[in-house]
Amino acid sequence: MVDTDRPWQAYYGANIRPVLDQATYRNIPDMIHSVAETYGKAKAFTCVLPNGMNGTLTFKQIDEMSDAMAVYLREIAGLSVGDRVAVQLPNCLGFPIAAFGILKAGCVLVNVNPMYTSEEMAKQFEDAEPHVLITIDMFADKVVEATRGHPIPNVIVTRVAEFFPAMPRGIVGLVQKYWDKVLKPIEVPHVRLPAALNAGREHIKNDRIEAEKYSQEVTLDDIAVLQYTGGTTGVAKGAMLTHGNLIMNMEQAMELLAGDMQKGEEVILTALPLYHIFAFTVNMLSFYWLGARNILIPNPRPLSNLKRAFENYKITWMSGVNTLFNGLNNEIWFRHSPPKHMKFAGAGGMALQAAVAERWREVAGCDVLQGYGLTETSPVLTFEPLGKAREGTIGIPVPSTEVACFDEHGQKLGIGEVGEIAARGPQIMKGYWKKPEETDNVMIDDWFLTGDIGVMDEDGYFRIVDRKKDMVVVSGFNVYPNDVEDVIATHPGVLEVAVIGVPDNSSGEAVKAFIVLSDKTLKQDDIRSFCKDHLTSYKVPKRVVFRDELPKSNVGKILRKDLRAEEMAQIAAE
Amino acid sequence: MVDEFTQTLLGIMVAVIMLGMGASLTPRDFYLALRRPYGLFIGVVSQYGIMPFLGFLLALFLVVHEKIALGILLMACVPGGQKSSIFTYFSKGNLALSVLMTVTSTVSGVVLIPLILTIYAAALDIEIPREDIVKVLFVLLVPVAIGMSVRRLNANVGATIEFFGSILGVLFIVFIAVTWIPQNWQFLLNTTSATYTAAIGLGLVGITIGYFFAKSLRLHPRNARTVALETGIQNGPLAIAIIVFTFPPEQQQAIMAVPALYSLFIVIVSTCVTFVFRRANTAAEQKMPDSLL
Repeated sequence: MVDTDRPWQAYYGANIRPVLDQATYRNIPDMIHSVAETYGKAKAFTCVLPNGMNGTLTFKQIDEMSDAMAVYLREIAGLSVGDRVAVQLPNCLGFPIAAFGILKAGCVLVNVNPMYTSEEMAKQFEDAEPHVLITIDMFADKVVEATRGHPIPNVIVTRVAEFFPAMPRGIVGLVQKYWDKVLKPIEVPHVRLPAALNAGREHIKNDRIEAEKYSQEVTLDDIAVLQYTGGTTGVAKGAMLTHGNLIMNMEQAMELLAGDMQKGEEVILTALPLYHIFAFTVNMLSFYWLGARNILIPNPRPLSNLKRAFENYKITWMSGVNTLFNGLNNEIWFRHSPPKHMKFAGAGGMALQAAVAERWREVAGCDVLQGYGLTETSPVLTFEPLGKAREGTIGIPVPSTEVACFDEHGQKLGIGEVGEIAARGPQIMKGYWKKPEETDNVMIDDWFLTGDIGVMDEDGYFRIVDRKKDMVVVSGFNVYPNDVEDVIATHPGVLEVAVIGVPDNSSGEAVKAFIVLSDKTLKQDDIRSFCKDHLTSYKVPKRVVFRDELPKSNVGKILRKDLRAEEMAQIAAE
Repeated sequence: MVDEFTQTLLGIMVAVIMLGMGASLTPRDFYLALRRPYGLFIGVVSQYGIMPFLGFLLALFLVVHEKIALGILLMACVPGGQKSSIFTYFSKGNLALSVLMTVTSTVSGVVLIPLILTIYAAALDIEIPREDIVKVLFVLLVPVAIGMSVRRLNANVGATIEFFGSILGVLFIVFIAVTWIPQNWQFLLNTTSATYTAAIGLGLVGITIGYFFAKSLRLHPRNARTVALETGIQNGPLAIAIIVFTFPPEQQQAIMAVPALYSLFIVIVSTCVTFVFRRANTAAEQKMPDSLL
């Protein structure tokens, strides 16, 4: 029985339920605890450094340590339900302990990018008002300045090799301190993570506290995470994601993989940062729930940092962004010995270029399937079903989710009509933190407007045409930079490309391409004539410039807005 | 001359260095070496074709004592060392190819080193203890194998051994500088400039020829740099271990002259070459994604 409003359900196959029941768990702590009961001594998280040194914690250990963390936050730091705790960590064993501990305490987790400058941190702290900051020794020198506006009384500090065996932990510490010189003195009062956990354990033992009691009052509708995003308007704001949002999205993402992923048997690679919503929900929550072993990579740059992880573990799944897959495709060691056990890879965060996906299939010998979503949607909205991927699409909506295109008057459009993609489902955020007017801007009743322009085909597969604000209008014709980038990216001499619109006297706007070449002998005209073979003339870039690199975000997304700002500054200067 | 204590210490150091080398390898590296005969071919030609022949020419045309000549020949015939990977990394070369060439030359060395040494020694009319050399080579492959299995069993222990192995690789040079040099100071003053020419030339000319050899095969510049460094940089500790364990103590001083001096000078030579390579490195480089963290 196919719902005419939801044609995609025909592609779910027998294993996938079109509608998921209410969340299986009371809240995230309930899930964490019951999964730990099932998998007990199996390995849950392994942090792997570039030289192969590693540390591992089991499900049981993670559960026990996050209990101690929760007790520390409630009893010693004195927090109550709903208080915010900032976590500013790269991927390391401290991350799941901190994140799970905060949620078990009934507090709200605020993910902070470790690479942020102290000004960026300060802005986020002033908005989220966290009471506790959990950070890493490498970046703790920024705390003094970052907490001037909003003081944070409690700072907990961990390190990258925390919970490693003593010898590698010591070596890593010495190398970081004396060779890399990345450890600067920490000038704020702080407590080390193991000491905080021990203090929590003392309370559990002496006062017979059960961490479970904290989360008993937490419902699915309570906020679990404040996830900051530029959103569609560019103003940084915290998306309020509830326990229900995250649990449902975790189940939705896994439902589509049902049958392809085995409980308790997968080994997954997390090279994307966990503070990013994609890795947070899909890698950390979903695969913990599945009982998978999660290989955490603190710093995937340079990509050779991943070599040992690929050599030493039988990775069966990994997530990445276009830039990561493109980079691995170009790494010699990866091409020589691609992972043998990988079933497929998942891409998100930005559009996966068809040329990159194609090359990945050749190099790695497995599919890379693209998912689509936003911070505000926890994040997964659509996913390409295994074996039924369609080139150029972002796949079909996950179960219990409706996706449709809307025109500018807020009217739902039909098949083949281009409009703004909107979605409704259990994963849509509660709203923006302390910014109701921003929330109103993106919601039409219970539909969330994504700011992406797209179109649905007759089978319910969606295709993103472009970001609303990235569209270029050349003499009245709409040009979507993705279309042009996709073509240029297929040129064998091109490594990376970004396309933006620039003001133009004759056409209003003109298409301009920024290209990083792998074949430096190419000329502007080569690119233009290549485009002419593949694109309508108004889409062919009027201007082509070659660069050594392109501006990118912290997760490797190419930042068109930076290129635009550069362009504008130049015009203003002239 | 080296005293017995120094000799034992040298032996232990070389064993740990080889252990560390093993811990940096996986069976997959060998599998890849076999699957890519082209790389294998380049490795064998540069390591056991170019270098021994260069050593032979140096020993033939430089006016040196027979024992010094033997040292030149030995140094020229040992496989590539681990230090080549470090310099390859800083020269923005191809690390995978560097590892592959080191693996290939180390393992095939058990057969090829004695064979080639015999040929050139005969040509130079020098006597060598062939069986003893084979024995030492075999003995030194044992820690390599142990290192590999240790890493397989426990990645942390493997990485720790590798870490100490590479530190020892550096300490070894310091050790030579502070023990062997003072103990043989008089000898070093008396020896001719030909000895120094051989010690420096072996590395410098080896790298140069390696580079043009790779160029003649039309290799990518990145790979050409790798082959160049891999050709010129030899496993100094291994050469010294062979000498310490196979020759009587009274002969060791002269035989060890070139290997010891080579080990010191190659660091300087490779550093200079790395600077040249980095400057030449402009186009066609693989770029890492800029920001993933």
